[in-house]
Amino acid sequence: MEPVEVKVSDLNVWIGGSHILKGVSMKAPPGAVTAVMGPSGSGKSTLIRVINRLIDLIPGARVEGKVLLGSLDALRADPYEVRRRTGMVFQEPNPFPHMTIYDNVAIGPRIHGLARGEELDRLVEWALKMAHLWDEVKDRLRDYPHQLSGGQKQRLSLARALALKPRVLLLDEPTANIDPVSTVKIERSIMEYAKTTMATVIIVTHTPQQAARISDHILFIYQGRVVEYGPTREVVLHPRHDLTRKFLGGEV
Amino acid sequence: MPDWRRVKDRLFTAATVALALLAVAPLFHILATVVVRGGSVILRGGVSFFTDPPAYPGSGELGGVGPALLGTLWLGLVTSLIGVPLALLTAIYIVEYREGRLARVARVFTSSLLEVPTVLIGMLVFLVVVVPMGRYSLAAGSIALAIVMLPYTVSYVERALEGVPRTYREAGYSIGMTRAQVVFQVVMGIASRGVAAGILIGVAKVLSETAPLLFTIGSARGSYPTGPQSLLEPGDALPLLIFQFAQTPYSNWQDLAWGAALLLTLIILAIFTLLRLLFREVKL
Ligand SMILES: Nc1ncnc2c1ncn2[C@@H]1O[C@H](COP(=O)(O)OP(=O)(O)O)[C@@H](O)[C@H]1O
Ligand SMILES: [Mg+2]
Repeated sequence: MEPVEVKVSDLNVWIGGSHILKGVSMKAPPGAVTAVMGPSGSGKSTLIRVINRLIDLIPGARVEGKVLLGSLDALRADPYEVRRRTGMVFQEPNPFPHMTIYDNVAIGPRIHGLARGEELDRLVEWALKMAHLWDEVKDRLRDYPHQLSGGQKQRLSLARALALKPRVLLLDEPTANIDPVSTVKIERSIMEYAKTTMATVIIVTHTPQQAARISDHILFIYQGRVVEYGPTREVVLHPRHDLTRKFLGGEV
Repeated sequence: MPDWRRVKDRLFTAATVALALLAVAPLFHILATVVVRGGSVILRGGVSFFTDPPAYPGSGELGGVGPALLGTLWLGLVTSLIGVPLALLTAIYIVEYREGRLARVARVFTSSLLEVPTVLIGMLVFLVVVVPMGRYSLAAGSIALAIVMLPYTVSYVERALEGVPRTYREAGYSIGMTRAQVVFQVVMGIASRGVAAGILIGVAKVLSETAPLLFTIGSARGSYPTGPQSLLEPGDALPLLIFQFAQTPYSNWQDLAWGAALLLTLIILAIFTLLRLLFREVKL
């Protein structure tokens, strides 16, 4: 599978008349983790929802600009095609409660007719291992997810996304409400997935510490505008903008 | 001082309990009467109570409610076949396609349908179906009942679908599901118990309805003992039989009405038991 660079140029988003993203341009290279940071309400979730066209679900949203996933023009393409090639993990763990653990991971490949039988079994196992959940659930794949802890549910949501082997993986504050042990596992699997499959990972994170731990690049957004973009080390150690420095210092 | 407050609290509690008892007492009285009187009739009639047509009025024999029971079962089945898909699609349309212009119209229409007296629905079907066909029929009754069922089932199913948190829909879309896949594989799956409850409550509601049948199915007592041979013929139904037999001076027909009342109660009880057994709550 070929690497896919995410390239956003001059993106503007309005929701119900208010200007949410104001001329955002950014890049996220394959094989790396790009962290999106910024105070709450600055448009981070909106940005990643444009990339996989979930923005289409918001009534009254208007989008202008260009989003490229490799050679795919995401704003022009069929949204279902875009979403099938991108995976997403949300802030709240949301495995489907009416499906077994196995089915939660198998649903993506199933609806797209990608695998069945033993091949599907292997794919499910691969995704659960990738999400560092396999050891904890391998003996209860037929159980429903409600008995899992929040952190396990979130790893199951991650495995569901990974089962489609998305070239682009989007995560919206995936560890905001998750226990520290699961947080570490999720961070590890995100990094491993990016490195071993040359996938493009974009993670919205609320903590500079997390960005420093796992990202290769940091994009800092403030009130719908990009303030700073650069290699993680540089942004964290030598932020060029006052706002970034204040944010990293917990002042914004 | 604290004692006085506690006394007041006790008095208030006692009054509440007394009023609640007063409110449910008539219900218990009705239920108890139905069980006692209907039970003795069914025991007396035995199996033939369920299979035979009613005996001649005033004959001293009992007979049974066979054709009416069969009619009610057919009405339940055909009404469900018409009403359930219609109600499900309407509710799905209202909730999942709310941006559609027709969705709001559908919502207003179904909720106003709730206010229409069911006897008017019977008359409407009489004018639109029975008169052109030239006869009463089980089919016409089913159409009337399906219309009665629609707003109940729609509003239950609507609430069940609305109760599914948005994040599950987003998760479905995020793996490339189409809207239909999100609706049928995710939303309906999570809401399955509420959806089933809506369907069964609708069916239970119409099974005990009399008014929509008055102008639509005919009572078909003329066609006894065989009963209707097709849905396009007149038929009988338990609630209609209860309504009509209870008003006659014949004690054997009054007895049949009591037995039919218990039978209908048991059928509805069975439906709700089924609901509890078959559909577990989906734990989020
Ligand atoms: N569905 C929506 N309807 C209306 N406004 C929205 C919607 N989603 C986001 N917004 C607005 O867009 C702005 C950015 O939101 P968001 O992208 O969620 O920010 P962040 O993820 O950085 O906290 C906020 O002011 C928010 O109120
Ligand atoms: Mg957000």
